[in-house]
Amino acid sequence: MRWVIAVAVLSSTAVLSAHHSFGVAFDATKTVMLTGVITKIAWTNPHTHVWVDVKDASGQVVNWTLEGYPPNVLERTGWKKDVTIKVGDTLTFFGWRARDGSPFAHLREATLTDGKKLYFGPPAGTGEGPATVK
Amino acid sequence: MRTACFVIACVLVGSIASAQTAKIQPTPRTADGKPDLSGVYQASPRRGGWDAEAPGDEPGVPAPRSAVNINTTVSDPIPYTPEARKRAQDILNQRSIDDPTTRCIFAASPRITGVGLFPVQFVQTPTQVIILYEYMWAHRVIPIGAKHPDDLSPSFMGDSVGHWEGNTFVVDVVGFKPGGWLTGGLVTSDALRLTERYTRVDRDQLTYEVTIEDPKVLTKPFTQRTTLMLREGARLREYSCAENNMDPAVYEKMLKDPASSTSFIRGK
Repeated sequence: MRWVIAVAVLSSTAVLSAHHSFGVAFDATKTVMLTGVITKIAWTNPHTHVWVDVKDASGQVVNWTLEGYPPNVLERTGWKKDVTIKVGDTLTFFGWRARDGSPFAHLREATLTDGKKLYFGPPAGTGEGPATVK
Repeated sequence: MRTACFVIACVLVGSIASAQTAKIQPTPRTADGKPDLSGVYQASPRRGGWDAEAPGDEPGVPAPRSAVNINTTVSDPIPYTPEARKRAQDILNQRSIDDPTTRCIFAASPRITGVGLFPVQFVQTPTQVIILYEYMWAHRVIPIGAKHPDDLSPSFMGDSVGHWEGNTFVVDVVGFKPGGWLTGGLVTSDALRLTERYTRVDRDQLTYEVTIEDPKVLTKPFTQRTTLMLREGARLREYSCAENNMDPAVYEKMLKDPASSTSFIRGK
């Protein structure tokens, strides 16, 4: 019976968008994992954004824009404004790149300076719906 | 993928199992003997504290506890009319780029109820039930035993009137603006009618069942069910969607750029 319930719940996990579809701007096949220094933080709705300077292989600095959950969700999942991350901190981020190839990404997992990992945004694909109408 | 699904299934089974073994406390009641719906809830299968996500060891691998992103809504198959089905497929092909919530437009229930990222607060008095949604910072005032007003103006979340059927609070919702997005690409019309049934089955668990009728886009009514769990100590916090809404501009730019305008479309 427990398995039947679990399957019923799983079959309904067409995750609803809270604000917008993941897949319009971001490509779930293009992961990115980089480390850089935080230059700006916007603790705002409907999305929190973090800007990070990342040095590429040639030594050139690229400023990445990272998008994630709204502040309310972050604050319920372990983040604290102006405490957890600050301008000047080093941040390692894992996420998915923008489709247009610009330094814009959906930030999923953030690794802080002390090595602690926290989620900053939902999984890939959130809000875009299944491929076909059920 | 199979492993990931298995992990999620185990988590769900575990939470259901723990729910079955946790001490179930009785439904609170008001002075007049009605079930008291008052409280802060989250759409979730799990009792207890807030379902906070914790990352796993490997980047990109689903967390062992990933309840925040689980949509608990269970739906009957949606009986689209042929035209509505085609429109739904077009929407899914375009990955829901035109979703009104991107522009901070309210989504009607059941969608607004089932977004587990945000809490929902019920405030019950003898004459009305007020539902406060953190998501979109929206609310509904539901008079008990009243009729819909004669001068009803169409709205995004409709006009709600409620009554008690035993232990269940039943809400009739009509008066919607056309063009609302519910689920799976379903775009509703001005003929939309919701019959919602809220039942606080015990102290922690509030079940939500909604029958959706819309003869302009559906061949027959269908039903969805969601479980809301009490989150003691959680409070609603302001969600001002228009504060820094960068996405519509990004989408507009994409649509104007021939190279990127189709890059997000499935099958292109």
